[in-house]
Amino acid sequence: MFFKSDKKNQDQVRGFSHLGENFRFDGEIDCKGEIEIAGKIKGNVKAKKLRILETGIVKGIVQAEDVEVLGHMVGNIDSKNIYIGNKGVVRGNLHFENNLTVLEGADISGHVQKNKKDKVKRSDTDKVKYLEHNKIAS
Amino acid sequence: MPSVILRDTNLKGNITEKDSITIDGIVVGEIKAEEVIILENGNITGDITADNNIEAGGQITGDLCSERIHLNNSAKIRGKLSHRNLVVDEGAQLEIVSSTRKKITTNNKE
Repeated sequence: MFFKSDKKNQDQVRGFSHLGENFRFDGEIDCKGEIEIAGKIKGNVKAKKLRILETGIVKGIVQAEDVEVLGHMVGNIDSKNIYIGNKGVVRGNLHFENNLTVLEGADISGHVQKNKKDKVKRSDTDKVKYLEHNKIAS
Repeated sequence: MPSVILRDTNLKGNITEKDSITIDGIVVGEIKAEEVIILENGNITGDITADNNIEAGGQITGDLCSERIHLNNSAKIRGKLSHRNLVVDEGAQLEIVSSTRKKITTNNKE
């Protein structure tokens, strides 16, 4: 019993990680929660929620559920929701699933694509199967 | 502003920070900063170099180098220490070689 309650407490993390303005990092970041970057990062970032602040620079591939770019970003972003602020700069492709928000003044160059969800793909294959079935029947 | 790395975050790579850095997560790689604070859940594999101060409360495998090193009661340290001042709290688990020096030279450039 006691161990269980301990584990629950460990799983819950209050607040978010913050990498300050003078933070320089070369390598991989894997965050299960929320992370805020105000420094320079070179490498791939995985997170649930990622916020690149105005002083932040990220060079690498980003995979997350929510991405907010208020600073610089060089590399591809793959996320459910992408938000790019009015001072945001992105050099790279944007792949999103639900929502893309780009404020006036944002600087983007790259390919923008909405990824289809699995459910949509499934319904498509169902349709194909149905058509094939009709062909065979006729 | 100082950096904070919580326990849901893993970093693999070298960190350089001019300010203070607080770590409660897992870091594999070198850390250079002005001040390094490792909390209870912190797990560091790699050398730590700090200009002013290292507060160690977690598990560290690697060499520590700082003006002042404080090992808390929850610390588990394996490696070499070089310091001017060393504080060890009761309960710290250590497997270290420690040397006191008059001058600590940290090559913390930039």
